[in-house]
Amino acid sequence: MTARTRRRSLAAGAALILLTNAIALSSVARNRADEPESRVMLSERELALPAGGYRHAENSGLALALNWRVLDADEERPDYGYSLHAGRPAWLDAGRLAALGFDTAAGDATPEARERFTRQLPRQVLIVLELAGPAWQQAVERARANALRRTAAATANPDSKAFAEQAKAARDNLAIEEGHASRLFAIDAGLDAAVLRARYPDRQRTLILRGTVRPSVRSSDRQHRLAGYISAIAIDRINVPFAWRGLLEPLRNTSRPAASERTPRYQAQVAVGQHLEPWIESLTTLPGDRPAPSARPAP
Amino acid sequence: MTESARDLPARREAQQRADDIRVFRAELARLQAEGVVDLGADAQQAILAHHAGLLADYAAAYDIDLDGRGRQLSLGMRVASFLGALALAASIFLLFYQFWGRFTETTQVVILILSALASLGLTVALQGRDGSGYFSRLAALLAFTCFVLNISMIGQIFNITPTDTALLPWAAMAFLLAYACDLRLLLATGIVCVIGFVAARVGTWSGIYWLNAGERPENFFAAAAILLAMPRLALHRNYAGFEATYRVFGLLTAFIPMLILGHWGYGSYLDLPARLIEGGYQLFGFAGSALTIWIGTRRDWPETVNTGIAFFVLFLYAKFYDWCWDLMPKYLFFLVLGLSAVLILLVLKRLRDVSSRAKPGESR
Repeated sequence: MTARTRRRSLAAGAALILLTNAIALSSVARNRADEPESRVMLSERELALPAGGYRHAENSGLALALNWRVLDADEERPDYGYSLHAGRPAWLDAGRLAALGFDTAAGDATPEARERFTRQLPRQVLIVLELAGPAWQQAVERARANALRRTAAATANPDSKAFAEQAKAARDNLAIEEGHASRLFAIDAGLDAAVLRARYPDRQRTLILRGTVRPSVRSSDRQHRLAGYISAIAIDRINVPFAWRGLLEPLRNTSRPAASERTPRYQAQVAVGQHLEPWIESLTTLPGDRPAPSARPAP
Repeated sequence: MTESARDLPARREAQQRADDIRVFRAELARLQAEGVVDLGADAQQAILAHHAGLLADYAAAYDIDLDGRGRQLSLGMRVASFLGALALAASIFLLFYQFWGRFTETTQVVILILSALASLGLTVALQGRDGSGYFSRLAALLAFTCFVLNISMIGQIFNITPTDTALLPWAAMAFLLAYACDLRLLLATGIVCVIGFVAARVGTWSGIYWLNAGERPENFFAAAAILLAMPRLALHRNYAGFEATYRVFGLLTAFIPMLILGHWGYGSYLDLPARLIEGGYQLFGFAGSALTIWIGTRRDWPETVNTGIAFFVLFLYAKFYDWCWDLMPKYLFFLVLGLSAVLILLVLKRLRDVSSRAKPGESR
């Protein structure tokens, strides 16, 4: 290779590096320009610290996991309060799925039609996430009703250890729902951010983020309905800027009380920009981890 | 007569010529010992002088192996260079992860860009000084790693939505370094990036999220067509082994999806019964691999022939499994497999004999 060719290779490579970085960084700048599309105050309930351990020692960076949920159409379906167990929400029905681009024309009447529907692959859509809205209140009500039902059953069967344990678990679940579990629920999906924002104008309670929806079938009592579930949110980990990392580092690897007694130890103001990409604007610590006052169901 | 430095072939071709000279000398000595040929002293001296001049020119221009021992050591150096590059690439990733949290975002970005630029500069600088090419190739792999780290970490730092577009600059950098350093490993890396990008784009055109494009194996056929067309471009004529690399990856990108769809019709775009789709792709697989062997034999492309044979055998064995695994005692099943391998050997031997008769003058 001649010196001239080497110079050309160096110039071409350097230009490629600089151009790619310029495009990526200008995209970041455009996302954060002007007023954010939404700005929401999330707590540790919705932004979880990653677990510590040896990976922590190998990675000095810190990103908070966005903890989102859906209210499953089936009230009896267990809800563990975090997104890994995303259910199939009632609002994600055949009509909504068709609007998202899925082919629902064959319907749900025959096994072949249902198989044809579920053969479709996930599509990228816009997901509306609501903080502490009616969906969360409904989740709390479900937990409360369950706790009351289990407590009543335990009272009616005072000698049954199993009933007593179920009642305690249900009360703990209510305490978790009230004081620890995420209040951020996916409540709608669409393809046009402007249309969704017009439908949900409160920019301090609702976030619009990119995610993927996968088709599914909901079956109960030999009834089959076309359904879907949110398989992922595109950005489900938000990097903690250097300026705020010092506040969170001491909280990692500290022992915590039982889940039913945990309360948030920090809150972060999260902004979502023009490209629907989030970032942390500010972060403050909270007292946290005190026994929740309403850990018992109302009599 | 010696070639001028300007006319020297690429390093790989120089090495091939040096190997040919070594073989020629050994065979000539044998023929002379057996009394088949007796070159005059003048002719022998002229050949010796010519070869010595060639080898001296090659040795001056490239760090090539002039004898068998050197060739063996070179193989060891290539392995060490490859393993060293992998280890250094992992080290760069882990080093950054170990310390990046201690810097502000601006410093992180500056470090990432500077490391990509510096490793590229190091590669080009070594290219001018390293006759063997091992160190510049190692540096080229590092430069590519730094660039991948650069772009992926900027995505993490600023929470950028993952996109298939990132595969394009990575492919461009891999190709740039592969052609600059004559490095097939980076050529293969660039090709993999192109395969990923094209498959993702074909998938998104039909509405699929790009990360799920792999769940429809047919998305890869467009990439296969592009790769198989690449050797027709004159761009890499001077790079030994590059055309073969394109062909092998093109064939892999075509046959692996066929193999998958031949047994998983559910994954197809086609709105047909799964059994019909599977049967169709099995047929395409057999016909395609047989055609590949035929074309490879006609064009003297050994890597194409080998890939075709490998997939023909895979399709055949998979079919045997479908038909016979549950029906036959296991000893009989493996006996049938073994006999089919013998049959394939006989067919290939026949093909080789026909080919040798058609081109009797060629030693290949």
